[in-house]
Amino acid sequence: MLRASSRGNDALDIQSVVDPDADSGVPHGGILTAFAESAVRRADDLPERREDIVAAMGEPALFDAAGIVANFQRMVRIADGCGIPLDEWTRKRTADARDQLNLDRFKSAANTAAG
Amino acid sequence: MTVTMTTTILDIPFAYISRGREIPYRFAAAHRRAWRRIAEPGDWWTGAERVAIAAETRAAAECGFCRERAAALSPASVAGGHLRPCLPSDDLLPEAEIDAIHAVIADSARLSPDWYEGVTSTDGMDDARYVDLLGVVVHVFSVDEFHRALGMALEPLPQPEPGEPRRHRSSKAEHLAGWTPIVQPWMCDPEDRDIYPGSRWAANVISALSLVPENVRWLSELSAAHYLPHHRVGSAMGVDSEGWARAISRPQVELIAARVSALNECFY
Repeated sequence: MLRASSRGNDALDIQSVVDPDADSGVPHGGILTAFAESAVRRADDLPERREDIVAAMGEPALFDAAGIVANFQRMVRIADGCGIPLDEWTRKRTADARDQLNLDRFKSAANTAAG
Repeated sequence: MTVTMTTTILDIPFAYISRGREIPYRFAAAHRRAWRRIAEPGDWWTGAERVAIAAETRAAAECGFCRERAAALSPASVAGGHLRPCLPSDDLLPEAEIDAIHAVIADSARLSPDWYEGVTSTDGMDDARYVDLLGVVVHVFSVDEFHRALGMALEPLPQPEPGEPRRHRSSKAEHLAGWTPIVQPWMCDPEDRDIYPGSRWAANVISALSLVPENVRWLSELSAAHYLPHHRVGSAMGVDSEGWARAISRPQVELIAARVSALNECFY
């Protein structure tokens, strides 16, 4: 979805999904992923990461970013809690990205191999 | 003396405006609906049991024993006990279900088919009760995560409502993807044909809870507030998309989504 929604953005670097030091090429991507990481990890710097978003993008952006974090904290637990494999459509179109990001190292990759 | 009971905005769940935050109303509306769903009898758990599941979910998010197990190479090598919530009754949930809730919250990346078989084969548990339990767990956790991300206190859990579970499961569910039986749109029972609005096919993560269709309705409601309506996920790709009403762009949304998934080591 990141690639699909970023067509035309030649600066996009999906490595930023797994590497916090990589520049995603998405505007304000660094502060958004830093906020997401602090929220997921319950890090002490979460208040500062919130302020980074508010300062750069405004408070409404913070609310929407929090909504996305909350949404995907739910979705990953549905996926892992039900052992679902990647959808066939996605599996075919994302093989290169999964290779690049080395996602096969995740234990839940076995659900797709078995599916 | 006459005592007048007055409801103030502070008594209304998720009254974000009273906290001085101009959080879009769609969040409060969806979170209030979620709290009603927790309090009411579901398909396989009573209201009291669902509130107990919600309380256990909160405890799991703070459980030091779970954190130690998640960090260990082998979770079984860590001895200890779960952080438990303070509940009026401590015997509403069997030990196996309590452990399952903690595992889903704290170490979901390591769940396995053997783990699922173990959970669903315990006394009184089956696939539908598991799906209904998982539905409560993930939705409560999601609402709480929204609050934690914004540094807001968690909303008090609702008072359970009386009544018996409906005991409804999709009659045509099959093992099509993953451990739990599911239904695709063309397989739904007549009373459940609304669960995939506007979709002829549902992604695995959307249909994963469809053995108990009410959980798909719940998922749709909360996803529409937090992310996007399910039927628009494949189409609303840019800020210029019709109806795009978010303060962050679709690429920014998907970057956060992908990062959260990677941090959880979720392959899907």
